[in-house]
Amino acid sequence: MTEMVTWTCTGCALLCEDIQVRVDNNRIEQVEHACLKGKARIFGCKHVAVPAVNGAGVSIDDAINEAARILKGAKNPLLYGWSNSTSEAQMAGIELARTLGGVLDSTSSFCQGITINEIIKGTIPSCTLEEVREQADVMIFWGANPMSSHPRHLSRYSYFPRGELRQRGYEEDRTAISIDVWQSRTAKICKDKFYRIPPGGDAEFMRGLMDGLSGRVPKLSFDFDVKRILELAAVLKKAEFGVIFAGLGLVYSMKEDFGLLSEFMDTLNRFSNYSLIPMAGHFNMRGFNQNLYDETGYIYRVKFVDGKAASGVEFSVVEQIKHGADAVLVVGSDPLASLPASISRRLKDIPVILIDPCMNLTSQVADVTIPCSTSGIEVGGTAVRMDGKSMEISPLVQGVNMSDEMVIKRIIEEVG
Amino acid sequence: MPVDVGKFIKAPDYDIKVITYRDVFQAVACEEDYTGDECREMSAVIVLDAAEMKRMGFHEGKNVRLTSKWGSVVVMIKKSPREEQKGLGFMVNSPWSNALVSDEMLNGIPEFKDIEVKITGSNDEITSIKELFML
Repeated sequence: MTEMVTWTCTGCALLCEDIQVRVDNNRIEQVEHACLKGKARIFGCKHVAVPAVNGAGVSIDDAINEAARILKGAKNPLLYGWSNSTSEAQMAGIELARTLGGVLDSTSSFCQGITINEIIKGTIPSCTLEEVREQADVMIFWGANPMSSHPRHLSRYSYFPRGELRQRGYEEDRTAISIDVWQSRTAKICKDKFYRIPPGGDAEFMRGLMDGLSGRVPKLSFDFDVKRILELAAVLKKAEFGVIFAGLGLVYSMKEDFGLLSEFMDTLNRFSNYSLIPMAGHFNMRGFNQNLYDETGYIYRVKFVDGKAASGVEFSVVEQIKHGADAVLVVGSDPLASLPASISRRLKDIPVILIDPCMNLTSQVADVTIPCSTSGIEVGGTAVRMDGKSMEISPLVQGVNMSDEMVIKRIIEEVG
Repeated sequence: MPVDVGKFIKAPDYDIKVITYRDVFQAVACEEDYTGDECREMSAVIVLDAAEMKRMGFHEGKNVRLTSKWGSVVVMIKKSPREEQKGLGFMVNSPWSNALVSDEMLNGIPEFKDIEVKITGSNDEITSIKELFML
């Protein structure tokens, strides 16, 4: 039977809910409106995962039993990944970490977690993407390049659309600004509103802007036309609804001076109405932070002791892989590809269990591989968009594997 | 048999900072298959300013070795279509750039985007994914 369905995309944390997909006899035949990332997510990976223990094919039950045996025997297991899982699977992961007395962390630990933490705790104001679409007239892409990371961001929400208060769209009603170390695809769209700063110069540029906003002449240690900062400050002051899209360029540059960001937002909000949205990458990164916060009061880097949670940098995935964890459960992530090799190489020395629909680089060092269905394609649930909006996602087709939530629950049964 | 003197002369090296960025085309190719040729060809590349290439004696399409305290990779040079800041090279975020990243950090976030390396011309092959992880 052929049917055209409207689907919410899990290609990234924009969760575009306008994708049209033609499904014929449980096969995806045609996709409309999705970007490259969305289509890649829909059509899946080249090499699907198969259940294995120490490289040998086994039954799914044997793989789950071996995973449970490893985790039960570990003194300090790390449960990591989670940003490509539904909230339901994330909640199961929290329960497993609590049961094991283990450490729980997600990809947000070295991504947007630091920003999301400020927003969830209310120290940085935020808004929804719908508010951006309907109202925003000034937007800053700071260390962010959504044309590559979130390809439909500008066309669906931030820059190109007509909005309730922005009927003349990008041509007259919206000003897009890029602050970056190089001219990204997004910076090209911003044209003369591209401000090129040196690597690590974000905090100093931000202080310069705060000076400009407060009527002082900025002084910078690097070569930059002060007039351009003053002009930019004037544009920011005149905004009716401003939004900063914080990319990893900003987060990494400011990670040791992050308090400045809330000072900057306070300064902006003395003159206008400004919000910040973190450019979370994976489709449910923010969901993990929100779910864990609701359960424990912490957004990431949690260790459970006697059922109680503690959080600290020593429980971050990188510190744990370096010198903490004696077993690692990876769910829907590929730490061998995404972490510094100087850290991820240690995964070869400790037992690794991988739950994933696909073979990835981490599969090469995994002691146990447990295939699962792809969230948002073969299994539905709940996810949280980059701006914090909770959304339902529906499966497109029926897969052959269990969901990651079911796999985690099976492991809980075995170790409990 | 004549002695190849050239092979005993050390190629000059230069200090640069590698800045990483995201590219949707590379990301999709690698998500599909990290071990594939397309992922390697789109990842194992450093983008340099044309004037910087001239200063260092490098040519587009040639290989260079990037070495940090934490790792070393051979990648191919691509010329930036724009003028870039001096002393910088740009790499798409990938296992090749991650091979150069320090394991030292203060707050659980590695220095993914601002990596100090030495760059030198190389006749070696592009580093394979197996070599990166000694798989």
